[in-house]
Amino acid sequence: MNYPFWDVPHLGSGWVIGVIAIVHVMISHFAVGGGFYLVLAETKARRENRQDWLRVLQGHSKFFLILTGVFGAATGVGIWFAIGLAHPEATSTLLHNFVFAWAIEWVVFMVELTTAAVYYYTWGRIPDRLHLKVGWVYAIAAFLTLFIINGILTFMLTPGQPWLAVAGTGLEPSRFLQALFNPLFWPSLLLRSLACVSLAGVWAMVTCARIDGGKFPETKTALLRWSARWVIPAFALLPVAFAWYLWNVPEAHRALMQLGVSSAGAGVFSQLTRTILIIPLSSASVVGVVYLFVWRSPVEVKLRHAASVVVLAFVATAAAEYGREMLRKPYVIGQYMFSNGVRVQAVSQLNTNGYLGGSLWNRPLPGQATAAEQTLAKGEAMFRGQCASCHTRDVYRSMKRLLGERNREGIGSILKLLHDYGEDSPYRKYMPPLVGRPDEIEALGDYLASLTQAPEKASPPSPALATR
Amino acid sequence: MKNFCSSVYSWVDERLGLAELQALARHKTVPWHAHSFWYYWGGLSLMFFVLQAVTGMLLLVYYRPGPEAYESVRQITYDTHFGWLIRSLHSWGANLMIAAVGIHMFSVFFMKAYRKPREFGWWSGLGLLGLGMGFGFSGYLLPMDELAYFATTVGLDIPSGLPVIGSKMAALVRGGLEVNEHTVQRFSTLHVIVLPLLFLPLLGFHLYLVQRHGNAVPPSEESKPAAQRQAIPFFPHFLMKDMVMWLIAINLLAVMAAIYPWDLGPQADSLKPAPVGIHPEWYFMSQFQVLKMLGHWVPGKAGEFAGLGLFTVALVAWMLVPLYDTSRQAGRRARNTTVFGLLLLLATIATTIWGYLAL
Repeated sequence: MNYPFWDVPHLGSGWVIGVIAIVHVMISHFAVGGGFYLVLAETKARRENRQDWLRVLQGHSKFFLILTGVFGAATGVGIWFAIGLAHPEATSTLLHNFVFAWAIEWVVFMVELTTAAVYYYTWGRIPDRLHLKVGWVYAIAAFLTLFIINGILTFMLTPGQPWLAVAGTGLEPSRFLQALFNPLFWPSLLLRSLACVSLAGVWAMVTCARIDGGKFPETKTALLRWSARWVIPAFALLPVAFAWYLWNVPEAHRALMQLGVSSAGAGVFSQLTRTILIIPLSSASVVGVVYLFVWRSPVEVKLRHAASVVVLAFVATAAAEYGREMLRKPYVIGQYMFSNGVRVQAVSQLNTNGYLGGSLWNRPLPGQATAAEQTLAKGEAMFRGQCASCHTRDVYRSMKRLLGERNREGIGSILKLLHDYGEDSPYRKYMPPLVGRPDEIEALGDYLASLTQAPEKASPPSPALATR
Repeated sequence: MKNFCSSVYSWVDERLGLAELQALARHKTVPWHAHSFWYYWGGLSLMFFVLQAVTGMLLLVYYRPGPEAYESVRQITYDTHFGWLIRSLHSWGANLMIAAVGIHMFSVFFMKAYRKPREFGWWSGLGLLGLGMGFGFSGYLLPMDELAYFATTVGLDIPSGLPVIGSKMAALVRGGLEVNEHTVQRFSTLHVIVLPLLFLPLLGFHLYLVQRHGNAVPPSEESKPAAQRQAIPFFPHFLMKDMVMWLIAINLLAVMAAIYPWDLGPQADSLKPAPVGIHPEWYFMSQFQVLKMLGHWVPGKAGEFAGLGLFTVALVAWMLVPLYDTSRQAGRRARNTTVFGLLLLLATIATTIWGYLAL
């Protein structure tokens, strides 16, 4: 491998991306939906000559600018850093294929950032119609960023046959449009657009909740109910959009959702099932809380109540994003690159020539290192290269916990199962194959055994344990 | 459609008196002030109890007490569709219910809601907490895994320290000299029959008292003139807010159950040594740590006896609070009671944390 391995102890590199990305999605989807919210609310306020609304909207546009312009942009850059470190091979592939898309996205993003600032700073300083036009430019630019990024994100799950047919030949950019408008593009765009609308309403409640209900009960009621309208229909349509999305997900990936139905034990890939269960509950709870409290008693809504709705929406968003990532297993780019960065086409070559042979990033050992130390170092490099993108040694998806009390022989059996990657292997559904020469796989086995400190002469695990 | 619904409503109302119930609910009000947040915890405790009953009944479909207890829980956790989810909801729900009841109890205490005429509300509430902890203790053994077995063994050794009746009482509960399948059967009977039979009437009595006396207001609110006090109708206003809290609590429970599904340890083996760091559930950790400390200072049965004596005195004092702090006026007794409650709360938190750090 031609990139250094990013080893994040305890947490794992995936969660570094995850934490940044979930916060980013909460804010970036607000950036898209919030643009339409502002411009439509301003249009309504001007048409009905509601000066009280305009004052609140001006405050909301400041909150909007700071949250999306600072935290949204910062987390966006953070994702770039994190994916570049955690998945350099996948990032490289995406850049090579979508450089033109990203160039467009960056131009649109500059328009978005600029107009967001202009929109806020020109309240009452430019003609009303022009101010609204600035708002519309912002909203359309923000939606275009979603439009493009949505194509790249869905490409990672369903690159589509036209692109896969030329993958690895150097002709991939010739299929740019087919890759961008891949099978999941439109369902995902609908799903995300609905999420944007909902989050626009959810975040607007933060601003509206701060209106003094004692002094301005009518303004507070009207604006909170207007915001609630953005939340309820969007959440009601989400199940339909989600069903359309799943309909377009390849059958093998859809099947992953059922792996945790009957068991959530260690070693079963049950995370996707467990996560998916949270999405409808949290989404329904957002609707329930918004209706029961915000709609029914708007004057009593305080900042802490609005914050509760944001937290519930955050839980739904986090579950949905985590679920989307898990749905891609065992790939990071569907049928092209496995989740540890190994290209599908490179498997046989790596098995013959070795996994570590082409890597410039193995840790050098001092000259006096023993053979055992050299083997462990080789095993550790194999772990960092092929396992660490999903597993940590001791906490998240801990190898110590998953290997349990297996001895060296038992660990070797699992590694053989992963290397052979037979059609009937239980791991094939969600794990990449283990690649490398026999000596590299042996070294990995020794390294894993050193983690678990398994007794040398313990009996091999039972078949039941091997799948649990 | 509207006419049809109206006809159905009239038909049912004529026979069950729904309009009277609605009128009753409309007349009931809930005080509204800076501390009203604490009123939600009684409803949350009730909601968690209902969830426990529902998930418990579902588990009972597959659970087999006795020699097959472990195997049946293994099947629920690893073979049955969504068995792990129901079990996790039940286990996490038990913990959240005890936490909600604990918060409810301390909020009632610091709002002085045990004063006349609510003394029986306080005592019935304490009875419910005691029964709730009994549910927790009896339910903990039912999977019969290693941790459950040894934690119950340690837990049952404690009352056997009582002179004369201690060992006989422990043997009666265990169904023998040590924890075995007979103990599981006895605990299962306690958990699903005896305790619910005691809990439900007491809960009904507690709810009747809440309905009869209404929500108490804290002394700071009570001192205000009646005209300055605010209240909202229970139905639908407070109920709506209650439901919002329930939704948030259900989400918390679901997230806990999905992210940290309740695991099943290895099957209990009485011939094996107890695993290192054996400890009870968090709501017994404070008492566990106090007993450990006393056992360190006063070795042998005397230490256990001293511990049980201390718990008994504290519990009796806690129960008798309504008979000591009776006056609505601020005074020495009111202050002493508040200090007592604060000390008890701090001691419980400190010994619980200490217990975990000492594992």
